[in-house]
Amino acid sequence: MGAAILALFVLVLLPLCSLLLGSIRGEGGVTIGHFVEALSSRLYLKPLYNSLILGVLTGLFSVLIGLPMAWAVSRTNIPGRRFIRMTATLSYLSPPFLLAIAYVNLLSPNSGLINVFLRDVLDADWLTFNIFSMAGLVLVTVPHTFPYVFLLASSALQSVDASYEEAAEILGAGKVRTALLITAPLVAPAILSGALLAFVNAIALFGSQAIVGLPGRIVTLPTRIYALFDYPPEYGLASALSLLFVAITVVALYLQRSFLARRSYVTLGGKGSRPQLVDLGWARWVLFGVCFIVFLVAIAAPYAALLAVSVSKSWGLDFWKSLTLANYRFVLFQYDVTQRAILNSLLLAVLAATLVVGIGAVIGWIELRTKVPGRRYLDYVALIPMGLPGIVMAVALIQFWLAMPIVLYGTLTILLLAYAGRYIPLGVRAANTALRQIDSSLEESARILGARWSTTMREVTLPLMRPGLFAGWLLVFVPSIQELSASILLFSSSSITLAVAVYNLYETGYIEPVAALAIINVLIIGAVIWRANKVGGAEIGRAGGARHEGVAS
Amino acid sequence: MAGITIEALSKTYGSHDTDAAAVDDLDLAIEDNQFVTLLGPSGCGKTTTLRLIAGYIMPDAGTIHVDGRLVSSPGSVVSPDRRGMGMVFQNYAVWPHKTVFENVAFGPKLRKIAAAKLRSQVEDTLGLVNLTGLEGRYPNELSGGQQQRVALARSLVVEPEILLLDEPLSNLDAKLREHMRHELKQLQRRTGITFVYVTHDQTEALALSDRIAVMHAGRLQQYGTPYEVYAKPANRLVADFMGLVNLMPATVAAVRGERGVVDLGAGLRLDLALPSGIAAGERVEVAIRPENVRLGTEAGDGDAHAHAHARAEIVDRTFLGNLTEYYLELGSGQTVRAQTHPRQEFAIGDRVAIAVDTSLCSVFRSEKDAAQAA
Ligand SMILES: Nc1ncnc2c1ncn2[C@@H]1O[C@H](COP(=O)(O)OP(=O)(O)OP(=O)(O)O)[C@@H](O)[C@H]1O
Ligand SMILES: [Mg+2]
Repeated sequence: MGAAILALFVLVLLPLCSLLLGSIRGEGGVTIGHFVEALSSRLYLKPLYNSLILGVLTGLFSVLIGLPMAWAVSRTNIPGRRFIRMTATLSYLSPPFLLAIAYVNLLSPNSGLINVFLRDVLDADWLTFNIFSMAGLVLVTVPHTFPYVFLLASSALQSVDASYEEAAEILGAGKVRTALLITAPLVAPAILSGALLAFVNAIALFGSQAIVGLPGRIVTLPTRIYALFDYPPEYGLASALSLLFVAITVVALYLQRSFLARRSYVTLGGKGSRPQLVDLGWARWVLFGVCFIVFLVAIAAPYAALLAVSVSKSWGLDFWKSLTLANYRFVLFQYDVTQRAILNSLLLAVLAATLVVGIGAVIGWIELRTKVPGRRYLDYVALIPMGLPGIVMAVALIQFWLAMPIVLYGTLTILLLAYAGRYIPLGVRAANTALRQIDSSLEESARILGARWSTTMREVTLPLMRPGLFAGWLLVFVPSIQELSASILLFSSSSITLAVAVYNLYETGYIEPVAALAIINVLIIGAVIWRANKVGGAEIGRAGGARHEGVAS
Repeated sequence: MAGITIEALSKTYGSHDTDAAAVDDLDLAIEDNQFVTLLGPSGCGKTTTLRLIAGYIMPDAGTIHVDGRLVSSPGSVVSPDRRGMGMVFQNYAVWPHKTVFENVAFGPKLRKIAAAKLRSQVEDTLGLVNLTGLEGRYPNELSGGQQQRVALARSLVVEPEILLLDEPLSNLDAKLREHMRHELKQLQRRTGITFVYVTHDQTEALALSDRIAVMHAGRLQQYGTPYEVYAKPANRLVADFMGLVNLMPATVAAVRGERGVVDLGAGLRLDLALPSGIAAGERVEVAIRPENVRLGTEAGDGDAHAHAHARAEIVDRTFLGNLTEYYLELGSGQTVRAQTHPRQEFAIGDRVAIAVDTSLCSVFRSEKDAAQAA
């Protein structure tokens, strides 16, 4: 118990404090100079502006894509419902920086396959699209963020009591009016909340912003902070900028929470009926077509491109004339980083997921089952990292551990601390949901039969929590194994991770081996999820609630 | 004002092969200006019937006419927003994001009523349901009974010709329910709106209705005035559903035209009206309401209407406040329930004489024979 509290301090509070201190420490004592500079120089205001624009556009497009899909799946007789749900899940799971790399291969202004095809074969110059632009950045970010809107909106649409709408109809409101005057206000909080989550997650993605943004001279907060670590590193400015970043994120999350709280009335009214599905007639195929395009853009096209690049000798219109496996041979056996990176990533993800779920279980238990004074604050502290983008976490950890006598910088340990710190909210959430579903009388009845506390935990509580904890474990594992935003500042050649390896190789410009490594990366993620689902398939099924909660966080 | 004519209406959810019909071959003529109640046990198809009338669902067979205009038939349904009806939902469905005023003003606004007139209309209606002063509240700041009255006001303000109510009083406490029952009846009298009211509470149905339609398993069992369905139930399902009843097996001893004598055993023989086509020797069931069983200390002690007597022993008694209920055992071992004025007291173990008012008894073919006859 003490250990879990200590862990919260080490993982969250102390790094955060050193970030605060770092931002106000100057040459000669306390200063606000870093903030002044961050808020006055174009060098920093422009990235701030770009990040906000990116976030707003991504939020907007996430609604434009996620909402119709959610409506289609929950309210109409659209075909292929499972397929549409799967599209959203896969889009969410797929690593965003790989999507960026894939689209560079398709749409970079000079050599992107689609652009080359349009220009050289169709002679349609005006149709070409430059991925290195804000529009391009939005294109590669939205597939990762629209699932937030999709999930929240579809569950809200499903839980609106049908009689609310029917009551409007019998008073003379047609379908459209009912949708606008009754349904929309009822589900709006959920949609806004999804859009804000999309915003928060979009602006934190270092990988796509570096890969797609930088070549187009679109500098954003994460890439700007990253650049501040070029020699000589400017810790003070990086900390100040990080805190600004945190402020934006926290405001957005605060709004999101208050919107979500207002959603409570969606489930009001007990004996209601489920809404009837709208028969769209032929239009359902049109809507399905739209969803299918989302599938093409978010999943099929990028992965097909990566696969094609990975087996071609040289990427171009004629790539199919000379196919090869040499790229795989190169990255697996000749590029000495790969094997180390794979092992590191697997190790880190497994350890981080286990650690986070363990800490989450203890914190959840303390909060729900004990009367320890101040236990509510534990929960608040555990949620803080939701407001910390990956790169900010890294800045905080660097500041903190550089000041410590133990050398952690560049080790696997500091990466583990970063991952565990970032994903602690997911673990606490999962444990909390799992525990809430277990009535405390189940534990009490074991105690009254003479079981000691430890026996009760082992025999009753933990087995009952297992499905929920398992779901939480997967929820942490998946983002951990593709973590880039924090790793990029914390790795060393011995502690390099898979995502960093892909990114570094990409920086060197060898697109074909990069694609091979990317495919390997996806295969590993896929294999682990598949394996874990097989082991815990039934458990995940039972813990569907926890999973949903987590995705929405 | 408007009447509703329902003909041969059927509706099945899911597949016709595997699922029973929710509404099965229903015929019902609801006259203008009436208070009609759909009554039946849970799951008998009341809500489905109401939703068919409102146009939320399409019938599989049959038609619904409102004032002679065809509004529902398989393949074509006039949508609810163009039926000019009102509906009060079982769960009220008061919109949580609108205030009381906004909830009630929704319908008039759709009808583009000028602001000043709208305000006075809404306020009048809120006054009608005793909600004046709560205009600015949100539904989560109202009690269940107040929400229910908002729902009522919301449907009344647009002056519908037909008002559909789905168990609107089911969530209220006993006292408020009693009060609202009275108000509803008054309201219907005053406005002349045709009410179609759904409930599974037979007392409510008896108290409110001009006509009661008793349903069971999707089929209409009886359609008549409260007195008819209570005192002259069409079959044992109706008799059983309309309050307490003793259903006693008996044999027909003799038939004389429309009447006959049935033998309940233990010396209890009743002379009463028989359903047509019954022959002597047939097994029947006699429905006797507990309040029609009179108790006396000696045979013949009842009043002049009592036609049949027997002796019985009191085995249990329950004091219910306004009356006392006795469980009696006949010589044959059958149990009969009787209700008397609490002033008439007997002790457990007393032997009493019972008299049955035969003009208020009904006779049905017993289940098995009815099945064979069908
Ligand atoms: N949407 C639906 N889908 C499938 N079956 C349904 C649906 N609605 C009702 N049913 C079934 O149709 C039958 C009649 O239902 P209905 O709701 O009309 O009953 P009810 O008389 O209103 O009951 P209650 O008094 O419980 O409200 C029931 O067997 C019910 O299970
Ligand atoms: Mg019902």
